[in-house]
Amino acid sequence: MKTLAILLAAGFLALTVPFWGTDYAVSFTIQMLVFMILAYSWNLIGGYTGYTHFGQVCFFGVGGYTGALLVTKLGIAWYFAVPLAALMGVLLAVPLGMAMLRLKGPYFAIGMFGLARVLESFVLGFDSLTQGGTGLYLTPLSNLKPVYFTLVVLALVMMIATWRLDNSRLGLKLLAIREDEQAAEALGVRTTRLKVGTFVVSAIAPAAVGALYAAYLGFIDPPTAFSPVMELTTIAIVLLGGMGTVFGPLVGAVVLSVINELLWARFPEGYLAIVGTLILLAVLFMPRGIVNLAMKKGWLPAGRGLLRQLAREDGRAPPKPAPPLADDVKRVQA
Amino acid sequence: MPVSELLIGGLLLGGLYALMACGLNLIFGVMRVINFAHGELLAIGALSTVSLVGGYAFPFWAAVLLVPLLTAAIGLLMYKLVLQRLVHAPMIMTLLATYAISTILVNAAILTWGGGYKGLPGVLTGSVQLLGVNVSVSRLVAFLVALGTSLAVWWVLEKTRFGRAVRSVSQAPELAEISGISLDFVRNATFALGAAMAGLAGVLMAPTFASDPQLGARFLIKAFAVIIVGGMGSYPGAIAAALLLGVVEVVGGYFTGAVIGSALLFLLMLAVLLVRPRGLLGVGART
Repeated sequence: MKTLAILLAAGFLALTVPFWGTDYAVSFTIQMLVFMILAYSWNLIGGYTGYTHFGQVCFFGVGGYTGALLVTKLGIAWYFAVPLAALMGVLLAVPLGMAMLRLKGPYFAIGMFGLARVLESFVLGFDSLTQGGTGLYLTPLSNLKPVYFTLVVLALVMMIATWRLDNSRLGLKLLAIREDEQAAEALGVRTTRLKVGTFVVSAIAPAAVGALYAAYLGFIDPPTAFSPVMELTTIAIVLLGGMGTVFGPLVGAVVLSVINELLWARFPEGYLAIVGTLILLAVLFMPRGIVNLAMKKGWLPAGRGLLRQLAREDGRAPPKPAPPLADDVKRVQA
Repeated sequence: MPVSELLIGGLLLGGLYALMACGLNLIFGVMRVINFAHGELLAIGALSTVSLVGGYAFPFWAAVLLVPLLTAAIGLLMYKLVLQRLVHAPMIMTLLATYAISTILVNAAILTWGGGYKGLPGVLTGSVQLLGVNVSVSRLVAFLVALGTSLAVWWVLEKTRFGRAVRSVSQAPELAEISGISLDFVRNATFALGAAMAGLAGVLMAPTFASDPQLGARFLIKAFAVIIVGGMGSYPGAIAAALLLGVVEVVGGYFTGAVIGSALLFLLMLAVLLVRPRGLLGVGART
């Protein structure tokens, strides 16, 4: 109950930053929300379905350029450009997912990693439309509040969707694909359809956020749109927080954003190495992430995540004996 | 006229790709690890050659011998500190780990050499006539050494006792261990050898191409394209695909512009991934 109250208070504070915070606080929170949304999207395909996805930034970049082009060439307002960018993400993700998801493990990872570079060189190459390496400039927004609240709403939607997924048969099916795709197929899970569906769903928010981010920054160029740092940070967030968990991306985004701010200010030249080291340490010593650790230590109520893990670690362990009756009686009397 | 020039240019480039791809292949075969840090070993190889030869006035052949030793040491350290602990971990963890190592190495390279491009003029200058085409000596030497090393490593794998051990570890690690092969030794040795090959590719490209710390990612994707087109784990496949892709890049770039030309490689890779995921001569991934 206390945890819930703290969470609600923190949520309320985050919601109202533009009303009391400095410009610095607002831009910090916007960055954090962007990463949180990207992390929740990545978590769907990388955490639940277990496909190592090094190409989320493709959709971010395509969304960013779609949004920026709609705004600069056609003069559409950014709040109409954002849903159109999300639609573009879907249109790209459907054929791509049907093709790429036939690949497994390392092949999928390399294919998507390469695709981001292909898109980047196309954007650089078609400079009559995209201005190549110069990038596209949008008129700066005078008021950041609408962007901010759009991001908040998107983050909430992603959170609730993940929570619903975690408590559903669909979520279990995705986990089954992660653990053993062939066995899942044999049990009647329609793996191809689910994988493509998850892939497409996980592309919507990054495309929308790409357009929002372009509107927020006021410009977009290929290195920003298809930035490997963005990709790496997103994956680090999910890994640090806990892959395939509801709270993982939230916790990871908060923790990593704070670490980023502290380190970025002091050692901007060593930023990449520090994020890399964090990922490395997480892979080696905490591959299940903060949220699973917290569940194990009892700081968080054990969700299905923990039960799942226990079941896998020792399938034949006898169930925990129920507390003796006397204890229960005492508790009732007290 | 340009056709023979383009073909030769493509083949010369392909030799370097072959060396890179064979190193990646070697590590993938034994460890089933896609080494995302392979490109950074190449970049470090190229940049330290620039420092050694350009800065400290070492002769070029000394760099050819010393720099691969340096990258082999880095590769060995990578294996000892990180990958050895992840042998039984899910594939996503090893992918993330090598990806993280690659960013650390890029950052280390930027801190050491700065972010800009560095060239190595005045080494292996001059040119020779080859089939009526002027070919610069540096590119020819790079091609011959790279292709020669790739073929030599292939020979070692096919014909020597060590090569048999490496192949048996990549085909059936449990049976190899039962037969008295030290898995740990073979893994260490192949990781060091693969890293040394990446470093050597870096040395060889330093006189011709401008090098910068970000070089690795660009080159790595091309090496990935090569091993996917050729088939993961297949040496003849990798060497043939490297030469083919070198030609595709140069010829395609001539007709469509450099930017689209390099994208052609990835498009070819994506096409092969979709039509024949095992590659032209591949063995397929063990899950």
